[in-house]
Amino acid sequence: MPLPRRATLLPAILLALTLTAACGSGGGDDGGGSAEGRATGGISFQTWNLRANFKEFFEGLIRDFRQRNPEVKVKWLDQPADNYADKLSADAAAGTLPDVVNVSPDLAYPLAKAGLLMNLDQEPAAARFKGEYTAESWQGNTLPGLRGCYAFPWYLNTGPLFYNKRLFKESGLDPQRPPRSYAELFTMADTMARRSGGKVATLGGIPSIEDFGRYGVPLMNADATAFTYNEAKGVELVARYQELYRSGGLDPQALTNTPDKVGQRFLEQKVAMNPGSAHDLANFRKNAPSLYRNLGITDAPNNNGKPNMYVMGLAVNAHSGHKAAAVAFAHFITDRGNQEAFAHRVAVFPSTKGSLEDPYWTKDDGTDEGRVRVASARMLKGAVNYTPVVMSDEMKTILRNEIAKALQGEKSPRQALDDAVERSNKLLKRG
Amino acid sequence: MVMRVMRKALRYLLLLAVLALTIGPFLWQLSTSFKGTTEDIYTSPPRLLPRHPTLHNYTAVADIIPVWHYALNSLKVALASVVTNLAGASMAGYALARLRFRGRRVAMLAFLLALLVPLESIVIAQFTMMRELGINNTLTAVVLPGAVGSLNVLLMRNAFAALPMEVEEAAVIDGANAWQRFARIALPSVRGTLAVVAIFAFMGAWDDFLWPLIVLSDSDHFTLTVGLNFLHGTFQQNPRLVAAGTVIAVAPLVVLFACLQRYFFRGVGEGAVKS
Repeated sequence: MPLPRRATLLPAILLALTLTAACGSGGGDDGGGSAEGRATGGISFQTWNLRANFKEFFEGLIRDFRQRNPEVKVKWLDQPADNYADKLSADAAAGTLPDVVNVSPDLAYPLAKAGLLMNLDQEPAAARFKGEYTAESWQGNTLPGLRGCYAFPWYLNTGPLFYNKRLFKESGLDPQRPPRSYAELFTMADTMARRSGGKVATLGGIPSIEDFGRYGVPLMNADATAFTYNEAKGVELVARYQELYRSGGLDPQALTNTPDKVGQRFLEQKVAMNPGSAHDLANFRKNAPSLYRNLGITDAPNNNGKPNMYVMGLAVNAHSGHKAAAVAFAHFITDRGNQEAFAHRVAVFPSTKGSLEDPYWTKDDGTDEGRVRVASARMLKGAVNYTPVVMSDEMKTILRNEIAKALQGEKSPRQALDDAVERSNKLLKRG
Repeated sequence: MVMRVMRKALRYLLLLAVLALTIGPFLWQLSTSFKGTTEDIYTSPPRLLPRHPTLHNYTAVADIIPVWHYALNSLKVALASVVTNLAGASMAGYALARLRFRGRRVAMLAFLLALLVPLESIVIAQFTMMRELGINNTLTAVVLPGAVGSLNVLLMRNAFAALPMEVEEAAVIDGANAWQRFARIALPSVRGTLAVVAIFAFMGAWDDFLWPLIVLSDSDHFTLTVGLNFLHGTFQQNPRLVAAGTVIAVAPLVVLFACLQRYFFRGVGEGAVKS
């Protein structure tokens, strides 16, 4: 049975949310429980697919918290990877959203818009912790148009550019000199395509919205009400990809490749470069040992000095019956010590101030993991979450389809981007 | 002569091609689940025979998630769904085919229309309903919406309608009431369709993902399909584990089908053979 994607459920969800919001306002009371005062009562805490590998870690954290707050009971729930957005919306509609929820900004946006998440900036009991997190990560969880940050910043991720040294050598390129800028990247892709007779592609996928961001294209206007990626710089990026697609520098399957599929083409050693994250290293070692022996690691190119990052957060249910306990717990999980402990277990990065100055993230210990870790941690300074939170899956699909049309030569890059922006803006107004 | 051989060869070639297309991906999963950690998974062309075959992935699945516990939950749900569907669909089907009552056509139409409603569009309403009933986060709530499938009711109705009327008329003259005719005469004649309904109900309940995910929140109650989803790592993927999980999930269905296939094919053709 094909699993429905997020987009199919969205209209139903929005309708349901509006209904519950309407009912809620009739009730008057917003769930009771003040965020100030002592932490007491039973709260539920929901993570997104973390139990399988970090069961003991989280059980340990909960035990620690209980020791300091004996009057709080914590029930830990963990949801599987797929259809998490559907699960959240169903809970939101039925009023069963847990007290502390693991969300990324795009998942938080519809919930916050429906008034289900606590605005941390406007809740003094939560806002007083703001200074403990890096400005970038607090900003990353701040939702445009909703005047505030809606989740305690949790783990961050970013990653370097991985490349295949064997394929570099075979096309006569120096494997020790990977591209540093987009201009160099495109020149190398041309060379590689020419020398291999179009057999080896440099890149596996068409540009995503993050690529536009890294290339220096302004993605949206300031209040996130209209997309702007169809300006000159964006057109230039698509035009470069169009040339690559014609010369064979872009994988012939790029038009239909999903990010997972691009990763797979890199593992198959059909594509020479792939921007990845810090966890990919283990993936390469496990699933493509022969690629791992030839793996090169370098900084992902970007044109404006601001690398991309992904942010995760812990939101507090605005209707929680025990807000003080929920805020205390969300803060506890995301405090400096616990974030650093988590980031020592898996290749993610803490969002607390000062954490990344720890030698663990600044001193290369000679292993490949160490190199990737230090390189990624360096990139997090000044990094932004480029993916606009209001950009739904449907809008991402529109962009992908229009770019595909441009690469196939059906439309000019400018026309394709204009069309994508126009249709996305229409959707934005409707939502 | 040569023509005949050629034609036969072509026919078998086509059959083989279709076979490769349908079971190829499954074979790839099966072989991936046996591959050791030192070999490449994504090679092109794909390699089907593992170089270092190992059962390690299967034990690893059981280490990461309580796979037997989830399988037991799935089994409970699937068996309950088989029982409720067999009982409910055969009774409803018999009523629609044989009994005369006011609103029979409307009832029929309601079942037909129910076929057209996709689960995704009503999933939230269903969830809210389960919550009102106070049974969200229980296995009962997983079974309930699919307890009597409308497709199964229609299948049973057609099977009963195809039985010769005369036999039942004779039974009426002998003094049999509706229950006796249903249980003693009609039911034994539609065994094939009952097997089809049983397989459909089992498969539907066993494979369902979205509904159990939405209605269950405690991972103790998760069914196998939902639980196996935990194998998709948050930070790194191990396709070998996912493949092993897939094989674990599919195996019972293969066994069930192998046991019931005799009835299944009889049931699929049941309507046609009656004169």
